[in-house]
Amino acid sequence: VSGVPAYYFLWLSGVIFTIGAVGVLIRRNPLVIFMCIELMLNAVNLAFVAVGRYLNSMDGQVFAFLVITVAAAEVVVGVAIIVQVYRAGRNMDVDELDLMKS
Amino acid sequence: VVVAFAILAAWELVTAIGVMASRRPIYNALSLVANMLGLAVLFLLLNAQFLFAAQIIVYAGAVMVLFVFIIALLNPQMDITLSRPSVEWGYGLIFGVVFAGLILALLYNRDLTGIPGVFTPQVIDAFGNVQILGAVLYSRFLLPVEVTSVLLLVAAVGAVYLAARKIR
Repeated sequence: VSGVPAYYFLWLSGVIFTIGAVGVLIRRNPLVIFMCIELMLNAVNLAFVAVGRYLNSMDGQVFAFLVITVAAAEVVVGVAIIVQVYRAGRNMDVDELDLMKS
Repeated sequence: VVVAFAILAAWELVTAIGVMASRRPIYNALSLVANMLGLAVLFLLLNAQFLFAAQIIVYAGAVMVLFVFIIALLNPQMDITLSRPSVEWGYGLIFGVVFAGLILALLYNRDLTGIPGVFTPQVIDAFGNVQILGAVLYSRFLLPVEVTSVLLLVAAVGAVYLAARKIR
């Protein structure tokens, strides 16, 4: 990557991560919160791959690959839980969900 | 390359803000698809051809199809209201500015200080990205790969269990 310093990629990654974090904080729909979490994971992947590229290492790509795998598993379970909550007739608002309160 | 990076960075920022701020969940999902495709091209820019393919297939393909499918299935009309523009928006924006400022200040013009590895672009060109990634993945990182496979199995079983079960 001639001409682009490494910290440009890390900046981009940090800004995307921040946008995802803000989305998690201000949104109330659990599906949208999930999407913002995916955004944060993607930002971290970008940082992994960029650092690995600039340090001539393959480890960044391996970790990004593992993160992709874990994110897929996480989405499957999370979406299953969201569907269950929806089928239970609850309001889809994370401020009002209290299913775990005993 | 700089121009390509600038275009891609702008694309990523616009679509990321779309994911955060769109009102309807389907627009959030489509913004996220666009974001992931842009990220895949960034991977290509970083010589990560295998991750480019994996990103498109796994994320933009499987995960986002799942999201769009769920949105179409549940049709969550009743909860499309963005949280009221209230105090939590203010806190969210303050947090975002502070957090982004800290990260950018931390990374400002800082060089990477790690010890460079052996996989220079010449080596990767000689053997191929996928070949080297596979060799590393199944030699040094064999244990994490196996643990991840168990995790995938657990997630699949858990999803089936959750889908089959009734909660009150």
